[in-house]
Amino acid sequence: MAIVEAVLLASLAAVLWRLFRGPTAWDRLLAYNSASNRVVAVLAIAAVTANRSALLDVAVVYVALGFLGIIILARFMERGGANR
Amino acid sequence: MITLVLSGIGAALVVIGTVGILRLGDVYSRLQASGVSDSAGTALVLIGLIVWGGWQSHDATLVLLLVLVLLTNPIATHSIAKSAFTRGHRGERE
Repeated sequence: MAIVEAVLLASLAAVLWRLFRGPTAWDRLLAYNSASNRVVAVLAIAAVTANRSALLDVAVVYVALGFLGIIILARFMERGGANR
Repeated sequence: MITLVLSGIGAALVVIGTVGILRLGDVYSRLQASGVSDSAGTALVLIGLIVWGGWQSHDATLVLLLVLVLLTNPIATHSIAKSAFTRGHRGERE
């Protein structure tokens, strides 16, 4: 499982590069979505392998808040928010 | 063993999605690459973790997490695509 965790962390770093660079705001938004997915998977692996159930609750809250933020930002840009 | 196979397939899907996000040309192509492979990869990793070690007390939380990921990921992808399309972004190659 450590190998899977390392692969997920490496892809998280690669996606953060798109978040930093992305030409439009929607690129950054989708990179944030992918990064939060990878963070949730890494949190779940860490919680199960280290036998700490509290990290799973953290992951549930992370999914909910990330979804809320993405929806709010997408609606904000849809109605004429920041363009860059 | 089953856990390792499922999580390995999920990690491979995540890596394919990462290559798509980094290499493809415009927003909609990247959205397709991330939206398809992310939900499948994360869901496979979570299913592999549910299978790990028999029935344990935190498996219900893992099932809740799986349902949340499978519900929210397509909605977020669709919302981003709709936002970009409504604002008149037509996928110019960078």
